[in-house]
Amino acid sequence: MTSIRVTGLRVRHRRTLALDSVDLDLGTGVHGLLGPNGAGKTSLIRVLATVARPDAGRVELLGEDVADHRGRTGVRRRLGYLPQEFGYYPGFTVREFVAYVAWLKEVPAAGVPAAVERAVARVGLADRIDAKVRTLSGGMVRRVGIAQAIVNDPGVLLLDEPTAGLDPEQRVEFRELLRELGGTATVVVSTHLVEDVAAACTEVTLLAGGRVAYRGTPGELTRLGADTDGPGDHPIERGYTAALRAHRAHGTREAVR
Amino acid sequence: MTGPLLYARSRALPLTLAALAGTAAFAVWAAGRLDAYLDPERRVPIVALAPLLASAVIGTSLYSASDELDRTAVRPWWPRRLAQVAGLAALAALLVTPAVLGHADTFGAPSVVRNTLGCTGITAAAAVLLGARLSWLPAFGYVTAVYLGSHGTRWGAASVWAWPMQPGTQPGAWAAAMTAFALGTALYAVRGARPERARG
Repeated sequence: MTSIRVTGLRVRHRRTLALDSVDLDLGTGVHGLLGPNGAGKTSLIRVLATVARPDAGRVELLGEDVADHRGRTGVRRRLGYLPQEFGYYPGFTVREFVAYVAWLKEVPAAGVPAAVERAVARVGLADRIDAKVRTLSGGMVRRVGIAQAIVNDPGVLLLDEPTAGLDPEQRVEFRELLRELGGTATVVVSTHLVEDVAAACTEVTLLAGGRVAYRGTPGELTRLGADTDGPGDHPIERGYTAALRAHRAHGTREAVR
Repeated sequence: MTGPLLYARSRALPLTLAALAGTAAFAVWAAGRLDAYLDPERRVPIVALAPLLASAVIGTSLYSASDELDRTAVRPWWPRRLAQVAGLAALAALLVTPAVLGHADTFGAPSVVRNTLGCTGITAAAAVLLGARLSWLPAFGYVTAVYLGSHGTRWGAASVWAWPMQPGTQPGAWAAAMTAFALGTALYAVRGARPERARG
């Protein structure tokens, strides 16, 4: 079932075209969003999170058109979002911060304490739930960010660079959590780390220059890399580079015509 | 802890209330030091500066550390933003008024209420355009400039643009201050403060 449907999406930041003619259909599972800096990954995530409005195109989440006020309100109840820099209130404990986001998401008040404890336990911070967020390490703060994103059991979960700051063990645990979440929700993970995509994602979308450059499974991207001798230490890295270069070459040919 | 209480703490409202109370106490103390009851004209510094300090306190409370997450809230923000600015402005006006009791027709309670509302409006608009942390700056610059250059500004257009230095009965000054309050508050209620990098 399709949870995210994007048609003809265009996003402009002043004079820069961040996204152009993007069409996407994403269903239940973990979707890796790859691409170089400035490819449009964060712009896409922010539009899907209903934080930014597109200049053109249509975005449907969980069957609702987010351009419609009522549709957007309904979607936000079932949306989880971890921005690249989420910010937090220095005086808040982990419990208070996650409860604050649960309140923003209109989680029924009676269910908030249990939802908060469950979300915090899922990211492995149960023993630090009453610690002030400002006293935690960078990796732990990132996990607090993930906890707030899943406190409302979202149907669509959007994670922008979720593994930044996590150590290798935490990343392995996070991938496990991703796979678990992807069993019931549509999870979109924007990342630069192709090994995270290879390990945890069911599908890959590669963005370049604001357009979709490649779509497939991690296995297909890995096979693409196996057939080339381009740069990269791992077949999926070579596949990423090969797909990116093929897209750029196609763009150059189009420009020459 | 309930959602509204967490919201109040997220905007540092307990600290803001304490700072407003401190501002009011300082204004009352300073008014006594100026011997204001013997010389009403010397109340002008209180009428100009106490509302300025109060609006600066209100402005810094408009900061949101998690603006990006706040934008995904299910509830509309404008009622809470409106209540925050209007409520704090009303409270500030109430708290600062005892510093200038009497002389309502010159520089008494009406002028300090007017200035508190006007300065809060400018500060709220500045929070939208510059961010909450620097929101005190435009009101500070404007009131200081008017304070220093307000000699002979009792009539004509000057009674409007120099509204912070006008007697409490001057209708043009009230119109200017209330317009600033209405526009600034409405702008903040609709747009919220300009996003800034988190300090956490």
